[in-house]
Amino acid sequence: MELIEAVGISKRYGGIVALSRADFRADAGEVHALLGENGAGKSTFIQILAGIVRPNGGTLHLAGQAYQPANARAAEAAGIAAVFQELSLVPDLTVAENVWFRREPLSLIGTVRKRRERDATLALFERYRIPAPAPTREVRRLTLAERQIVEIAKALSRDPSVIILDEATSALPPRETDWLLQLSQDLAAEGKLVIYISHRLAEIRQIAQRVTIFRNGATVATHDTAAVDDETIIADMLGRRMDRLYPPRIATATDRTALKLRGLSVGDRLADIDLDLKEGEVMGVAGLQGHGQRELFQALFGVSRSRGAVEVWGKPIAIRSPRDALVGRDGIALVPEDRRSHGLLLSKSVRENLTLSVVPRFTRFGFLSRSRERALVDEQLRTLQIKAGTPDQMAGTLSGGNQQKVIFGKMLLTQSRILLLYDPTRGIDVGTKGEIFRLMRDLAAKGYAILFYSSDLPEIVNVADRVAVLRNGKLAAILSGDDISEHRILREAMVEARAA
Amino acid sequence: MTMTLPSAAKPVAKRDGDHARDRSTWLIDRAPFLIACGMLAVLIAIYGTLREGVFSFEELNLDTAAAMTLLLAATGQTIVLLRGGIDLSIGGMISLGTVLAATQFGGSPLQVAFAAVMIALLGFAIGVCNGLLISVLRLQPFLVTLATWSILSGTALMILPTDGGQLPDFWMAFGNASLLGVSSSVGLLVLLVLFWVWFRSTRLGIEIRATGSNQRSAELSGVSILRINLLAYGLSGLFAALAALYLTTQTGTGSPTIGKDYILPSVAAAVIGGISLFGGRGGMIGTIVGAFILTIIGNLVFVLQVSSYWQPVVSGVILLVAVLASSLAEKSARRSLS
Repeated sequence: MELIEAVGISKRYGGIVALSRADFRADAGEVHALLGENGAGKSTFIQILAGIVRPNGGTLHLAGQAYQPANARAAEAAGIAAVFQELSLVPDLTVAENVWFRREPLSLIGTVRKRRERDATLALFERYRIPAPAPTREVRRLTLAERQIVEIAKALSRDPSVIILDEATSALPPRETDWLLQLSQDLAAEGKLVIYISHRLAEIRQIAQRVTIFRNGATVATHDTAAVDDETIIADMLGRRMDRLYPPRIATATDRTALKLRGLSVGDRLADIDLDLKEGEVMGVAGLQGHGQRELFQALFGVSRSRGAVEVWGKPIAIRSPRDALVGRDGIALVPEDRRSHGLLLSKSVRENLTLSVVPRFTRFGFLSRSRERALVDEQLRTLQIKAGTPDQMAGTLSGGNQQKVIFGKMLLTQSRILLLYDPTRGIDVGTKGEIFRLMRDLAAKGYAILFYSSDLPEIVNVADRVAVLRNGKLAAILSGDDISEHRILREAMVEARAA
Repeated sequence: MTMTLPSAAKPVAKRDGDHARDRSTWLIDRAPFLIACGMLAVLIAIYGTLREGVFSFEELNLDTAAAMTLLLAATGQTIVLLRGGIDLSIGGMISLGTVLAATQFGGSPLQVAFAAVMIALLGFAIGVCNGLLISVLRLQPFLVTLATWSILSGTALMILPTDGGQLPDFWMAFGNASLLGVSSSVGLLVLLVLFWVWFRSTRLGIEIRATGSNQRSAELSGVSILRINLLAYGLSGLFAALAALYLTTQTGTGSPTIGKDYILPSVAAAVIGGISLFGGRGGMIGTIVGAFILTIIGNLVFVLQVSSYWQPVVSGVILLVAVLASSLAEKSARRSLS
């Protein structure tokens, strides 16, 4: 008897079928990976397990008992804890308050025993070696990675028998990723079931015994991870042999300099960066976590104050705010790190999100031209293949990959020809990743200049024409041609650390 | 293949840095409240130099009595603001409460006590209705409570078209009673503070704050938004009714239009005291400071013998300072983070 048995689960939202026949069997004591493209129904399925969404059909069994959680609380009581991509942390509460939210230790008069709560938090962190921030810090002051870790701590605090990790490593730096992979294996060894959702095949191979693959709301296959190759997994996900993930790299760079940096510095985190980004070029930015990549992008987009000279298409400019950076055809457009809180208005429609930054483009004499707006929006939906029911669908209801495409569309509509892409493929499925890489090469061929950072190094190696490697906030090397390899980038990024 | 790079950032084991950062964010987060305390101190100092005997129990009793109606109304408003909503209907509830007290109070203490409890429960029930409309029909709190304010005001005018009515003497004596030089109003203030210290640490208090901070997160964590709305607006209605009852001990009459004077000041007191209109942040102690700031401004205008129209002007300026302070604090917090 397996711990979780789901047979023929279906779920419709209005006319949209999110799940049609999802089958899933997983046993106690294993790490079971769940794979599928964005929109394949993984999120809906785990929301059903977590009691947040109720299925329209199918049967669910937990440890042999029929399992129909009425709400999240019932799922928790049954021993299922989920760590969602959409985090459940409350920004204005502290780390400890969030971990024990609604399960606080209470005194006789119904008030929370703060000291005991804090001690319990520290004990929890100790027990699972959680690299979490101090229990007294407020969550809204934490980085995305720190929040993700607190979210995991919150799930662990319930001592669940089933723990669901949805793209949990996509927000984590490498050290914390290693911790989580180890933790998942330890939990499985303790006899718990870990359902692990990730797009990173290497992670899945490292920790999962079995992998179940969803496609278009239905289960395609369950494999023993050791007995299946990557090609088969990807083919199962896509339903066709995958086109090459990385498009051919055809040199399209011209002699024209799109973006010229001289002595760019941000505080003490980025120092004296000299860089020339050419028209038609894709330049990768690489380095160890926290060595200035983020500061470079923030400075160029005007989020951080910077010193030094910036020239855009030969004209010196001073970037003090995002508005300065976003000036039409000669401007700079950014795909930000955290698409949920910075890039998109989740409660607005796809159409509004696309056209928000570019209202002047379809106004005539100060009046909004609806037909022009519609034409622009339709064009973006078509070229980017955004899977939205209608342009008026709420952006928050799209899958992660489609949300990212909307951000791309928004950026392209600004007509800026210098693009800053900060980890644009984070948490996105392989199919959409490939589309984004092809789009990047197409744009480069049209004369766009692209500066590109990815937390997944092979992406930089395979997509960029040149790679700028940062080390301790300084430019360590610019690699091009055959010099671009993971090995070489890593060496440039670490060489000083090794000498020390 | 995904490569695992050793990280340069060390998220654990740098407790010293954490503490320094804790302290600076603690200050930044409380900047609006601390600035409000500073403004109150300055106002009291000015008031003290202009008038004899400001630093006495007598003055404290008087000012607390003057501020108490606003304080009670603002307590309810604070709870709703922390939930991320707003309650305009308290104006109508206060009018209706005074009118009901003036017309329904009988002569005997038992009858009065019964009527007072019924008025308090009515306030709670009307608040629950607000919460129900907001949750079930998914309407804007601003519009729902604007509508109920109008309905309640009209009802109050139907019951008692002009100021009047009769309240028993012992009822009014209660409001001004004192023990060892401390008036019942100061006693109420102490109770209010105790209530808040207790309430903010209860599970309900935390859930209300959490819902105001991020409704979706709270919902994902298992909070019933319906329950939170019913209780938050219910408590707001209850405190509005208590404000009305207190007001009658001071004025001795029912006033069908008096409530509107408390709607925006209750919001202003909370915001001056550092409560975010976006929910989740701030506390009742700030609201108390805010309410006293507004009250002392009234005293100052009186002592300086300038036109009483200066009171709203100065209150407005102070409100601007408070809003500016919280916005600057938020910006500096963001800068220190990035």
